[in-house]
Amino acid sequence: MSNVPAYLWLIPFLPLAAAALTALFGPRVLRQQSHWPCILAAAGSCVLSVFVLLAVRDLAPTGPADHRAEEQYVAAYYTWIHAGFVDIGFTLRADSLTAIMLVMVTFIGTLIAIYSAGYMHGEEGYPRYFAEVALFLFSMTGLVLADNYLLLYAFWEGVGLCSYLLIGFWFTKPSAADAARKAFLVTRLGDVGLFLGILALWVTFGHTLNYDDIFGQLQRSGPPAWLNGICLLLFCGAVGKSAQFPLHVWLPDAMEGPSPVSALIHAATMVTAGVYLVARSTPLFVQAPEAQLVVAVIGGFTALLAALIALTQNDLKRVLAYSTISQLGYMFLALGSGLGSTLASVAVVAAIFHLFTHAFFKALLFLAAGSVMHAMGNVIDMRRFGGLRHVLRTTHWTFLCGALALAGVPFLSGFWSKDEILATTLEASRQAWSPYQAIYLLLLLSGLLTAGLTAFYTFRAYFLTFWGEPRIPEEAGHHAHEAPPVMTVPLMILAVAALAIGAVVEPFTHWFSGFLGRTPFLGEVEEHRPVVLLAMVSGVIALAGIAVAWWMYVRQPGTAAALAQRFQGLYQLSLNRCYLDELYDVFFLRPLAGLREFCRILDAYVVDGLVDLVGQIPRLFGAFFRPMQNGLVQFYAVAMMLGVTVFLVVILFKYGW
Amino acid sequence: MSAVPLHNYLVVGAILFVLGVIGFLARRNMIVMFLSAEMMLQGVTINLVAFARYRGNLQGQSFTLFILTVAACEAAVALALFLMLYRSRKSLDVSVWQDLREAGQPATVDEETLPLPPVEEPLPTLTPAGLEPEHRGERTHV
Amino acid sequence: MISCSLLPMFAAAYPAKTMWAITVPVVLGGLAVFVLLPRPRRFPPLAGAACAGLALLFAGWLLVDTGTSGPETVLFYSFSGIAIVGGGLLVTQANPVKAALSFTLVVLSTCGLFLLLAAPFLMAATIIVYAGAIIVTFLFVIMLAQQSGLSDADQRSREPLLTTVGGFVLLGALLFILAVTYDSSGIERHVRRTEAVLERLSALPPDGDWRGPSSDVESTLKDFLEWQSQTVRSGTDASKRLEAALIDAASTGASPQATRTDVVQALNNVRDRATEVRWTMGFLRPGANARLSDASGPPPNLPPGELRRDAFGRPPLPAANTAYLGRSLFSDYLLAVELGGTLLLIATIGAIAITGRRTERPR
Repeated sequence: MSNVPAYLWLIPFLPLAAAALTALFGPRVLRQQSHWPCILAAAGSCVLSVFVLLAVRDLAPTGPADHRAEEQYVAAYYTWIHAGFVDIGFTLRADSLTAIMLVMVTFIGTLIAIYSAGYMHGEEGYPRYFAEVALFLFSMTGLVLADNYLLLYAFWEGVGLCSYLLIGFWFTKPSAADAARKAFLVTRLGDVGLFLGILALWVTFGHTLNYDDIFGQLQRSGPPAWLNGICLLLFCGAVGKSAQFPLHVWLPDAMEGPSPVSALIHAATMVTAGVYLVARSTPLFVQAPEAQLVVAVIGGFTALLAALIALTQNDLKRVLAYSTISQLGYMFLALGSGLGSTLASVAVVAAIFHLFTHAFFKALLFLAAGSVMHAMGNVIDMRRFGGLRHVLRTTHWTFLCGALALAGVPFLSGFWSKDEILATTLEASRQAWSPYQAIYLLLLLSGLLTAGLTAFYTFRAYFLTFWGEPRIPEEAGHHAHEAPPVMTVPLMILAVAALAIGAVVEPFTHWFSGFLGRTPFLGEVEEHRPVVLLAMVSGVIALAGIAVAWWMYVRQPGTAAALAQRFQGLYQLSLNRCYLDELYDVFFLRPLAGLREFCRILDAYVVDGLVDLVGQIPRLFGAFFRPMQNGLVQFYAVAMMLGVTVFLVVILFKYGW
Repeated sequence: MSAVPLHNYLVVGAILFVLGVIGFLARRNMIVMFLSAEMMLQGVTINLVAFARYRGNLQGQSFTLFILTVAACEAAVALALFLMLYRSRKSLDVSVWQDLREAGQPATVDEETLPLPPVEEPLPTLTPAGLEPEHRGERTHV
Repeated sequence: MISCSLLPMFAAAYPAKTMWAITVPVVLGGLAVFVLLPRPRRFPPLAGAACAGLALLFAGWLLVDTGTSGPETVLFYSFSGIAIVGGGLLVTQANPVKAALSFTLVVLSTCGLFLLLAAPFLMAATIIVYAGAIIVTFLFVIMLAQQSGLSDADQRSREPLLTTVGGFVLLGALLFILAVTYDSSGIERHVRRTEAVLERLSALPPDGDWRGPSSDVESTLKDFLEWQSQTVRSGTDASKRLEAALIDAASTGASPQATRTDVVQALNNVRDRATEVRWTMGFLRPGANARLSDASGPPPNLPPGELRRDAFGRPPLPAANTAYLGRSLFSDYLLAVELGGTLLLIATIGAIAITGRRTERPR
């Protein structure tokens, strides 16, 4: 178990083998049993991840806090690129951060694979689905295991590809195909920044992309002048992948994919890759306070904006999608607040802790929403069903667990992690350079407001779906029923986790912060005193949000409509997602379309004209010779004879006889 | 008294060969082309036999026998081909077969017209005596 | 055209007689063929015929001068003349039937040449195969295909000018190579003259004065040396030995102390060396790895001077030509004979397969 490098590679390659197996034999051999390779591989990876976690925990601390490069397992398996002084290996590393991510990804991946076996049952592309999910698990585990930025980038694109494939799972549906394309392209936009950032790192840190080398150099020689720029470029990738403000538009559309995919990729794992990237790059960001401010502002703004939009969405999954964006914004807010090396580790702990808890309760919520969809005949519009708490008992209470956790009800998972983020922001507003203090304070207030909004929209969705008079859409038929155990059991497991995991790992034991603090190049997490007042305020706000939701949708069901009528403008703004898609259309797509048209004309007439001109020159020469090819055999024979004659005469002149 | 030198035979062979080349290249009847090719072979065989004579051995003659064999094969296959070609286009003119020219290139056609063949005087015929009797659908053997 | 502009260069390098002997018949012959080739508006055929006759005449006089007269020479001239005239008719005759008959003429006169070259079996075989089989088949095909008389294409030629010029430039080049490589008439003339001088010397009394115009020693040697210096093939070993012998003989003849015996000895040496040159003229010695049995005659790598020779200086061929040819074919060329038989079989099958009428089967 302590020989980590011996089995570390199996964590990504078990799912890869499953993907290959399913892809090759799924359609013909496995058919409706195609889920087995994926489930077994995910479970195997999960077990191995737990081993890795334990092995990392057992590593004895060596050396002082900021030079603990030894507290990790590095396994170099294969030299990927070896050219000149370029030497990039397929090297995996396991430290605390990676171990936590691994356990989270594989555990949730396993549960979702099991759930999918029930949810996707009878679908046409059943083997394809599981091959893609397994491929995704390969990419995601590889992403968190990567030892250098280039390998991370490769897996980063891998998860992007899987996301594209899975969003477009029902590719015959135009909206799904469009959503997949949108997700891929918008994410690419950020990826360009990430790649530029990686190239900048490459140039800046003496042709190495290894985390340890880069962070070590940074510690030794101080920050280079353009570190802010590099950090912002890296953050670009995170913005794209984690759906932050300018590039968040793809995530709500991504709900066209199957619900388990939404749970796995677009709530729990892939979208958190951006958070992981920034957390991993914390040693860089710590040295670039301006970049951190940008991270914090974008995070806080996205959190608020997404929460505001989520207030009025009618589509259950879209509410959850905006909630995801909002919660990711929270995480970035935390990461952006990590000023100075001491606070940075606290911030990383807060962000990763929220990531961790969020993964559980948001996956739970999506799976529960999927269960609702399953029962309602794929109808997800909350206006068309209601009062489902008697029909879908298990779904109801598991959804409630998730909602409570998400809303930040005191002593549940979401409460602890959100509290840590707010505390970090509060601390940042104290420690920041004075002109920035106000901004951090503002961000703290918006975070508190977001907490209230979160509680409100979560319970709005909950009440609309499960309370009120029972309504079932006709698509569901007469057999609206609870899902089979293969789906409900994962829900229950996740529900328990959503309620308890936050309380178990951190607030009393400080196990999480202690463990995460041992990530190399991350400062020791000090025992921070809990800000009781802040926790109380946020708890009260959350409860208040829930109470308002209860009032508006259960007690006085007409209130919401009346308010919407009253504040028509605001309502429409929120309902139409602040018209952001439309703004993008006007400001980006239309000018780009114009540019495209211009380029097309340029290409068709100028470039093609030049190329044609070049092509015309041989044609011109050919015009002289073409009549020779007249198809007359004798003409060719004459040419041959003349050739022989000329050769003979030349030889005669040249050599005498 | 002396014999005809080797050189003289070689000259005759060369002249026959070149006449054959010219015939092959200029004439358009496939059969005449083929005869010209055979004449080139004749020029070569004269060469070989003359050398055999002046070397005093039989190698040239043996080789000539093989040339005869190959010429016979060639004649058989070529005549078969000519018949097939004639069957499909009803002409022995090689210029009929110019389909493998460059695409878009106009076909080569003969521009000069042939002079009219001399009009043969019709044979003297007797003026018909009376009208031809009416045929009643009987089959004639004419 | 190219030969016209570069002709002076040739003339500077080679004897003028060779140049004229090649140029005149070739140009006249080319003109004749060009004039006589069938075309819609024909040139007067008589002019072409005149050109052809002149070309033949000049060729016979300048090009293939045997220097002697005898039955063999007469037969050679007549057979080769008929062959060339027949070839010209084949090329210029519009009617394919007549062309086929001219080809028969070519074949028959070639067979005559074969006889002169001591190849009677080949003569018979060629008559049977060509005249007897191929020509008859050809005529058969012509009758089958062209029942409506002369076709349009027979009265036209493809590229007459280009073809004729190209063909006769090729002929000129070939003749030039033959002339410089194989033409032995010059050296034979000098050998004969030397022999005549030797005869005259031997007729003189042993101690008499051999100098003077009656013996003609000096002018003979002078002409020989001049010819030797002009000839193209002066680079070979035999040629160098001849030159040394000539110079030696000239100095012997010029020295006042030389006796007649010395001069006869020197002239004998010159004659022997000249005969050696005449034998080696134009022969490329094949490599030693052509392993043939005695049945095919002397081995190909035997130097020409070592061949046994008859009264005319030619190596004798076995009299029983057919028997020896058969022995040679079935010993040295057995595999080739078998392959030739296979080829004939395949060609027969192929011809049947090509001409067989295929019935289109409905698919």
